[in-house]
Amino acid sequence: MLLNQEQIKLILPHREPFLFIDEVIEIHGKDKIVAVKRINKDESYLGGHFPGRPIMPGVLIVEAMAQASILLYSVCKPEIARGNPEYYLGKVKSEFLSPVFPGDELIIEAISVKITDNAGIADATARVKDVTVAKASLVFGIKK
Amino acid sequence: MSNGYEEELRALVSEIIEIPPERLTLNADFIDDLNVDSLRAIEIVAAFEKKYRLVIPEEDIPKIRTLGKLIEYTKDLQ
Repeated sequence: MLLNQEQIKLILPHREPFLFIDEVIEIHGKDKIVAVKRINKDESYLGGHFPGRPIMPGVLIVEAMAQASILLYSVCKPEIARGNPEYYLGKVKSEFLSPVFPGDELIIEAISVKITDNAGIADATARVKDVTVAKASLVFGIKK
Repeated sequence: MSNGYEEELRALVSEIIEIPPERLTLNADFIDDLNVDSLRAIEIVAAFEKKYRLVIPEEDIPKIRTLGKLIEYTKDLQ
């Protein structure tokens, strides 16, 4: 493990129940990070999505990808990230390929397309074991 | 640079910033005239880099404020 949740909380402003990264397991320079989110049976949203047939909502998989992209940004721009700027998501192009259930471990890869001081583009994939469950391209901004 | 190249870049940028290509004149300022924000700006840079397999260093991005400047900048890269 490269970053545990306490270290992640120093970078991400998100908190439970809206923190969707448990740990960062790989950092490949400024190009890519790999993060993990375990889908627990007691996740707050599962009771309603859907009663009797819990599935992780696709929008929350995108949120996990966005949070992984912020962590990637913090690797690329550590001095800005240390100042706890505001991060905002501007644009997402996504594709959902397979459902994610309680008990699954979501592995999220975020790859840098272009990252500057005040904006970033990342390509992300999410998989469970070897099955890709979602892909997205994310454009995000940073307000210092 | 040929007109074909200019038109190619005009099409690329106008699609990202969602304006008709004819409004994207060589001297129209991306920020002041065309309301390009930092997110659209990075999209333009990333699309350009992907299409032409070039890297625009971050420090150069603020200098490229018009389509004309983008064409001029590319001349220096090639």
